[in-house]
Amino acid sequence: MTDERLAAELKDALRSGDASAAVTAARKALEAQADPLDLIRNVLVPTLTEVGKQFQEFEIFLPELMAAGDAAKAATVILEQAIAAAGKASSSLGTVVLGTVQNDVHDIGKNIVSTLLSSHGFRVVDIGRDVAPSAFLEAARREKAEIVAMSALMTTTRPAAQSTIRLFEEVEARDDFKIIVGGGSIDAAWAKAIGADGYAPDAASAVDLCRRLVGR
Amino acid sequence: MRSNWLPEIVQRSETGPFVQEPEFDRLLTQTVRALVREHGLKFDPQDLVPSDDGMADRLYRAGVELLAQMGAYNQSTERRILLSRAEIEEAVAAAPSAVVLGEGKDAVVERHRGVESEIPCVMHSGPTGTPCSEMLHPFILQSCAQEPLVDCLGHGSVPTYLGEAIVAGSPQEILAARHQASLAREAVRRAGRPGMHIEDNAVSLTCAGKMASLDPEAGLRPSDGLLVAQIPELKTNYDQLSRVAHLRSLGMHIVNLITPLVGGLGGGAEGTAVVTVASHLLGALAYSASYHFMGHMHLLRSINTDRMGLWIQAVSAQALARNTPLVVVNDLYAASGLGTTDLLWEVAAGAIVGAVCGTHQHGTGATAGRETDHTSGLEARFQAQVAHAALGRSRQEANGLVLECLRHYEEHLATPNLGRPFSEVYDVETLEPRPWWLEAFHEVGSALDGHELDVHHAWRRVRHDR
Repeated sequence: MTDERLAAELKDALRSGDASAAVTAARKALEAQADPLDLIRNVLVPTLTEVGKQFQEFEIFLPELMAAGDAAKAATVILEQAIAAAGKASSSLGTVVLGTVQNDVHDIGKNIVSTLLSSHGFRVVDIGRDVAPSAFLEAARREKAEIVAMSALMTTTRPAAQSTIRLFEEVEARDDFKIIVGGGSIDAAWAKAIGADGYAPDAASAVDLCRRLVGR
Repeated sequence: MRSNWLPEIVQRSETGPFVQEPEFDRLLTQTVRALVREHGLKFDPQDLVPSDDGMADRLYRAGVELLAQMGAYNQSTERRILLSRAEIEEAVAAAPSAVVLGEGKDAVVERHRGVESEIPCVMHSGPTGTPCSEMLHPFILQSCAQEPLVDCLGHGSVPTYLGEAIVAGSPQEILAARHQASLAREAVRRAGRPGMHIEDNAVSLTCAGKMASLDPEAGLRPSDGLLVAQIPELKTNYDQLSRVAHLRSLGMHIVNLITPLVGGLGGGAEGTAVVTVASHLLGALAYSASYHFMGHMHLLRSINTDRMGLWIQAVSAQALARNTPLVVVNDLYAASGLGTTDLLWEVAAGAIVGAVCGTHQHGTGATAGRETDHTSGLEARFQAQVAHAALGRSRQEANGLVLECLRHYEEHLATPNLGRPFSEVYDVETLEPRPWWLEAFHEVGSALDGHELDVHHAWRRVRHDR
């Protein structure tokens, strides 16, 4: 069990988006013999879930969410090192390759999804914006991803999501990955029509969807 | 003094400080936060149209300071385009204070408007780059162009060409762009207004696609415009800047499209207002814009008719109206759909803010721009009538009216009534609004009349005096 005072210190650091305080708190907790996996599951993830909810309710804004995400990422590095040193398996829920589709340069939504997925225990490989179908495929294979997540803001760019899925089918890699879509121009009907495995209307739902898809 | 900043912008894009985009974003959030504090900016949800000239001027200074401290970010080179305070102020002072839009008998002059100005608003109709079907887009355009109170025509985003999804960057995009530009030209011809200003071709995504719409006979002309976008926040790239290069060489109107995200990198309402002002200044300098679309929107809901969105429009418009010669057009995004009274109340709130605080008017992106075919001429007519009725009102009066409008729709913003698409609110053969849409129009208009805003008649006086 993690010392409650140290857990509270870590939570405060995460909520206030103070990365160096989060690292200090994580180190102190480890020195006090806290289980790093327990810290991730019972401190980091619930705190970031709460921060994510505050963001969805517009009680806080993107800068605060980003800062909390950065703090969680910094603390996770320390905790993952401790897990690896103890010879235990990583806490990661799975790997998500994430990007905006070809010709779409709008990536703020994608960045929010990246922050929330990371802070919920996924390993996120963010391959950026305006990503060619072949680059999604190459990254998914290289990173041994469980999930490929694509975002499209513009009605005029969303066909690229379909082209990407088609490429995965053509090279017989479709069954190797779960492919999900989101973004302003996409809805559930379009996602179904192009054969995606899931659709998320917002960042919080993207986390739930990914958890469902990896069975966690 | 420079008249063309573009060579300098390119040079600085190549030689400015290298920084990865997430770092630029982090620096921007910190800088905005500090400027909001330093300049004492404060959002008051009860005072959505503040009568505080001091705050408007402080906001302007914060906007200048933000651009001077951050510069702009060129995504193509991953470098900052640094700009000095003196350069910003010089470019803004030299920006046009009036532009002639369209040609011949259909031309209108769009002038810089001040706070509580008596200068009538120019009305740009929708679609605001929102989704339209290939089949109905020509009718939607014509329904807008035929409205007597509409001065300039918007354009919709049509995702297909001959029934197939348009692949951006392919020859199909060029074909679609040319086709849809010709439909816009045809719409103004059919409306008997062949010289009416067409503000964009929203079908094309790339620079090549945009340029393909240029065709003096069958497409867009120098008297028309094309949007050049900034990417939130304070970002550009060579695709956008290349549009500027070509449009400038033709003498065509460049429209600075800005979409700061409320709750995004700028933070809350105050920070987003600072970003909004800075983005206008950047558009004057880097894009040499004829006029500017103030299109900030809620990060999660993609609207700007909520309290924060209206306040940002009010204070940013005042800051720009009092301190620059810029020609600014509001760019409303509403939650509700066509055929609903809620949409008209949202439109009224945005129109009143713009009319009193110094912007011209742009038709609404209904359903937050999500649903297809949610634009018609009638809500543009309504917006123009409200704006004309609000002309010359004080900010204090405007605040009372806006709060009254909000009372009718605010509680529905989270779960809006999406109404009905164009084909159900208009007769697509006669291109006349159907009775239920007209009833909604008269219902909200009469309710506003009851608040001493003469929506049904004030436009006559405005047209006479223009």
